[in-house]
Amino acid sequence: MNEHVIETQDLTVYYGRHCGIQDVNLTVEKGEVFGFLGPNGAGKTTTQRVLLDVFPPTSGKAMVFGLDCQKQGVELRRHIGYLPGELALYAGMKASEFFKMYAYLRGENRSKDHWRQLAERLDLDTSRRIRQFSRGNKQKVGVIAAFMSQPDLLILDEPTGGLDPLVQQTVLDMVREAKADGRTIFFSSHILSEVQAVCDRVGIIRDGRLVAIQRVEDLVSQRMNRMDLTFVSIPPAGAFDFEGVKELERRQHTIVLEVRENLPSVLAAAAKYRVVDIETHNISLEEIFLAYYSRDNGGEHG
Amino acid sequence: MGRLLIQELKFRIGAMIGWSLGLCFFPLVYIAIYPSVAEQMAGLADLEIYKAMGINLGTFPDWLGSIMLVIFPLVTSIFAIINGTGTLAGEEEDGRLEMIVTLPHPRWKIITAKALALSISLFVITLVVSSVSWLVFILLEGQIDTTMTGMQLFRSVLSTWPMVFAVGMLSIFLAVFCSNRRTASTIAAAILVIGYFGSNLSASTKVLEPFEPLFLFTYVDGTGRAVIEGQAAGDLSVLLGIGLVSFALALFFFQKRRLTVAAWPWQRGRVEG
Repeated sequence: MNEHVIETQDLTVYYGRHCGIQDVNLTVEKGEVFGFLGPNGAGKTTTQRVLLDVFPPTSGKAMVFGLDCQKQGVELRRHIGYLPGELALYAGMKASEFFKMYAYLRGENRSKDHWRQLAERLDLDTSRRIRQFSRGNKQKVGVIAAFMSQPDLLILDEPTGGLDPLVQQTVLDMVREAKADGRTIFFSSHILSEVQAVCDRVGIIRDGRLVAIQRVEDLVSQRMNRMDLTFVSIPPAGAFDFEGVKELERRQHTIVLEVRENLPSVLAAAAKYRVVDIETHNISLEEIFLAYYSRDNGGEHG
Repeated sequence: MGRLLIQELKFRIGAMIGWSLGLCFFPLVYIAIYPSVAEQMAGLADLEIYKAMGINLGTFPDWLGSIMLVIFPLVTSIFAIINGTGTLAGEEEDGRLEMIVTLPHPRWKIITAKALALSISLFVITLVVSSVSWLVFILLEGQIDTTMTGMQLFRSVLSTWPMVFAVGMLSIFLAVFCSNRRTASTIAAAILVIGYFGSNLSASTKVLEPFEPLFLFTYVDGTGRAVIEGQAAGDLSVLLGIGLVSFALALFFFQKRRLTVAAWPWQRGRVEG
């Protein structure tokens, strides 16, 4: 089996004249939790649907477990558990009936009891009809359906949507456990904290184009400091012109800097201009993410 | 495919029971009332309005033919349209089809299971109504002046299945071809209604005569002769042919369909420039 569980080459999908995704190239390794980040309409769901052969790409190629998604879709779907973003269930069925049906249609026996354990863990009453469930409970049904056959690859489209914080944590624990079992998770989300919590790598997609792929730890290590320096009288322009330092804002007595390196030089310069207050903030993953989406810098992380 | 078919049949059990019971209304009422209205019916036999609707009231087999071989399949076709378009376009619109197509089954099996389940459902409904027709006739046989047998009635009602099968497969094809369920069911209903009135009118209007082969109900004989001797094999073959060709087209277009996008076939994506 190929070590690349997912591999796409110049994957492009057009809906008529509208671009869904354009030249998406990514690989996801075995045992990895890959976070696919992007706002609504960026192309996350489109990419996932091509991987599952819900529809073919306009051009390019997608492989899962070394199998061509279009030509060997049936074989690769045996190894995939999928949670769609727009979950639709058979409302008239009891949750237990749904899980039995789902296992039956997957043709697998090993999921026979596993759904019961998962339902217990997520505190889902499977004797109730799905139409009686709240949005959160319906989401639990979708999560259980994706995990119950213990697939080699989980494709989860915003898995924690509609769940309360405690259940969200349980679902993230389930993702971690799946990873510990050597399974691969392709996880789309726009909730950065959960991506940071469980993902090994993250791909950022914007307007259908993959603008960055990085390890989460690298992304976090790039974390910048934001410094608000307040002076008796404001220093002249260019006073903090150092490598890795960017002036973000200038107010009456305050200069706001983004500092990636040369912190001692910044402090030395600040001392020269009679600094009266220094406030520092760590820039979160969220702010880094937003930087990719900043129209001002064309989305390039600077 | 067995698992898919069994599941599709399970989904339809309620509808099958409901429609079978509802459609038993036809034999229960129309056969049962005949002895008491036979004389008045004979007097209405020549009215043009009834001719236009394909209704012949001359004899008991004519009366039964008009109701059980024309009106009954017309009403059953509504079930075929609702189910045929709902099973694909409806499931695609509400998102359930995405769950099915992401299971490890090829698309041809998914659509074949759905088409088979619909065909079986239609056959079960027709079989139940045929059996009830036979039973009611046996119970009232003594009060009706006819040489017709219960078995002839049973066979003739059962022979309406190719008609509803054709409508069902046509609906499935339209559900796969059209961008959404509403369009598919509107077109299917139009084909059915035009096929019904067009066939009857073309039989009595010279202008419409050349178009007669285009109307679905042209291939349904609703006369007393058909109740006794059965439908013409050629007509049944045409209806089965329409059904099979529609299914083949549905199979072809379902393989190509970009699910969840609700696009017509010509709106498929292409790279610009």
